[in-house]
Amino acid sequence: MGQDSWAKRQSRPSITLIAASLIAFLTASLPLFYLFRRAIDAEVSEISLILFRSKTLEILATTLGLTIAVTALSTLIGIALAWTLFNIDLPFKSTLQALVILPVAIPSYVFTYSWISLIPGFKGLWAALFVLVLATTPFITLTTLAALRRSDWSTYEVAQTLGLNGLQIFVRVTWPQIKNSVAAGSLLSALYVLSDFGAISLLGVDTLTRAIENIYRGSFDRSSASILALILVAISALVIRLEERSRQRLHIIKSSNRIIKRAKTNDKFKVKLIALFGIGSYLALGLVIPLFQLLSIFLANSTSINYSLLFKASISTLIAACLGALIALALALPVGVLSAQGSRLGRVSDKAILIVHALPGIVMGLALVSFGSSIGWLYQSLLLLSFAYALLFMAKAVGSVRSSVDRVPKNLIEISATLGLPKSATFRRVVIPLATPGLLSGTLLVLLAAMKELPATLMLKPIGFETLATQMWSYSSIFRFNEAAPYALLLVLIAAIPTFLINRPDKGDGIGGDQI
Amino acid sequence: MSSLEIRDLTVELGNRIILKNLDLSISSGSFAAILGPSGCGKTTLLRSIAGLITPKGGAIRFGKQLVSVSSLVLPPHKRNIGYVPQEGGLFPHLSVEENVSFSLVKKTSKKDRDELVEELLDLVGMPNYQKRLPQELSGGQQTRIALARALAMKPAMILLDEPFAALDQTLRSEISQEVVALLKSSKTTSIMVTHDREDALVSADIIALMRDGQVVQSGSPSEVYLKPISAAAAESTGDILTLPANKIEGNQYLSPLNSPVEQIGQRAGYESGQILVRPEEIALNLEPGERRVSAKISKINYYGHDALVELNFAGLAQIVRARVTDTRGLEVGSNIFVSHKGPIRWVPEKATDQ
Repeated sequence: MGQDSWAKRQSRPSITLIAASLIAFLTASLPLFYLFRRAIDAEVSEISLILFRSKTLEILATTLGLTIAVTALSTLIGIALAWTLFNIDLPFKSTLQALVILPVAIPSYVFTYSWISLIPGFKGLWAALFVLVLATTPFITLTTLAALRRSDWSTYEVAQTLGLNGLQIFVRVTWPQIKNSVAAGSLLSALYVLSDFGAISLLGVDTLTRAIENIYRGSFDRSSASILALILVAISALVIRLEERSRQRLHIIKSSNRIIKRAKTNDKFKVKLIALFGIGSYLALGLVIPLFQLLSIFLANSTSINYSLLFKASISTLIAACLGALIALALALPVGVLSAQGSRLGRVSDKAILIVHALPGIVMGLALVSFGSSIGWLYQSLLLLSFAYALLFMAKAVGSVRSSVDRVPKNLIEISATLGLPKSATFRRVVIPLATPGLLSGTLLVLLAAMKELPATLMLKPIGFETLATQMWSYSSIFRFNEAAPYALLLVLIAAIPTFLINRPDKGDGIGGDQI
Repeated sequence: MSSLEIRDLTVELGNRIILKNLDLSISSGSFAAILGPSGCGKTTLLRSIAGLITPKGGAIRFGKQLVSVSSLVLPPHKRNIGYVPQEGGLFPHLSVEENVSFSLVKKTSKKDRDELVEELLDLVGMPNYQKRLPQELSGGQQTRIALARALAMKPAMILLDEPFAALDQTLRSEISQEVVALLKSSKTTSIMVTHDREDALVSADIIALMRDGQVVQSGSPSEVYLKPISAAAAESTGDILTLPANKIEGNQYLSPLNSPVEQIGQRAGYESGQILVRPEEIALNLEPGERRVSAKISKINYYGHDALVELNFAGLAQIVRARVTDTRGLEVGSNIFVSHKGPIRWVPEKATDQ
């Protein structure tokens, strides 16, 4: 008789869980099915023409170049910020930690809009590089800070006693403990650049996302747009695979379960000054200047603001985003649980969802317009818009569910069983309550991303339904910056709430760090 | 409560045999200790009894109920077992009362639950702790609450997996005595896994000694301590010396403790082997006498309540350690006269490697 532990059998997924995951997987794959269906409508000659024309290759090179450059730069800056905040004894440290993450709350098109309104000639590839690096650095800062907090401090102390200097300690002791988290942050950064529409569109950079938008808007040629979107899918899959390969199984065995007080961090005045200058520069460019600019435009024009429209757009933003976050959580829960249990279906679904996460909003919009129009009542409904948010950002919720379920100690599940509780009751009474903070973080992450989403919202919103993002866009795209400012400002303020909740400085282990 | 009967139990994990044809019997209501070094399979045995591991072969019976045999393995939630892991394993999201009543929800009314929780908290000496969270409790308190939680379901058996290992020495002795007294008074069959021989000897009615996935000996604490069946079994319960010896006739033996070393060894008509001696069974005398052998004191390790005296015998490479309570008159470098005051535990040569 083959044998295994009860825990192993316990972790075998139930039929309900498998069925729910399959539904989530198929739902998440909807836009991919749509792309393939559209692409095969095209003639082979047409496909090769699109694939091999010089313009496509140029766009491809721009997309890849921008993605690599932004990811590399944001990774360097993100690690530097996290390391500085962790190791140097700075004043108002927890406030600074919260502030360096806050740029996540600012949509890239708001960033761009504020810089364009400040510097009229702000345009092109370098401008895109600048804006996207500022926008994506928090992904790496956050995941690296979380990894540093989890790392075993005693290993640094031992390394010091063994005669290693600061740089050697970073390379030989710190880096192996944080590199998986850095890679996860870099992946998010790369996927963000690949799917970004707002910034590159305002700055006039021809990447795949913009090309898809142009083809669709210009000629309604859905087949050609789908072929380009599939190239984007292939690049995203490659990026995901690269991140996976770079990841090593890492088990940090803490030398003691007791809380060891950290040794004194670096408190030399000169070091502190340099650190504050570095963090200050990032905050100035990524937070203070854009917000100050938005505020100045807003104050200069506060009398002509339509407050009732502003209020209505805020409520619409919140309703659509909340509904999207709830749908995402419902779909992500079975996939995340399966993935935490090491199931193959869970892993495959997880990857499909991550690829969908990299799709530009416009592709999601196209897919759901096609899907929604085949079911009359669904087309241009709030439900369809929220469903699009759920599909686009489900990856964030799946990551949160997976890591929080994975962290539930296995011995508590065993104890529950010995106390007479069957699997389903153990899941309900032990696993879910213990994973709740992570599940909430995941839901907030989807909420945050949904509030900022623009291209899919433009395509799928019900008639007369305006969010803060669409209102801001409609004004700024025709260069009416004065009228766009209050919407941008309010969007940043509202988005700052979930950002702050996810990364509360009092959360010692930086739980959001794994999940953003 | 019920008795435990294990026959021929074999457990294989990842192509490694952890338990090998293991047999064990524990009578109803007794407190048993499974004692053995790290890696000998004692936790695997406990997890097999709890149903957390599926054995490859053999049978486990609780009283008359067969809970594990090749054709049937009862899952843990149907075994009515109370399980107390290391450090308690309390649910961190639940208060003390919710932890204690965890197995009772839906089975009893709220009023009955509250009464039982109160009763159990009184029993473990922690009244008025209902609303506390696990993280507000000390290690010892967590163990006591885990015990109350296990007792709440009125289990057929309680399994304790090194429950006191994380506690410091003083607290450990205090808590272990309290817990053992409590379990014995409740007459619940209890099985505790430990690698601490003092814990086992002090608490248990029956000790099962484990080595390499098998129970090598079981019996009362005095039985396994005084009559070990092998050097390995003797080592499990305390310090032991293995000395070369000859069996002369009847109960007569030659050993370095009663004869010059050169007289011991392969000799015609004498059976060769070894004797097992506890350090406290070696007497140190300041004066020579009959069947006393001279030895030189090479070191004295003083522990307060007693001391270990290291002795060198002429012709014997091995250092012999004697435990004494009185070190007066003993000096490093001086000669002393040694005799053997304990029972003879003879191990024939062919069995010495076991």
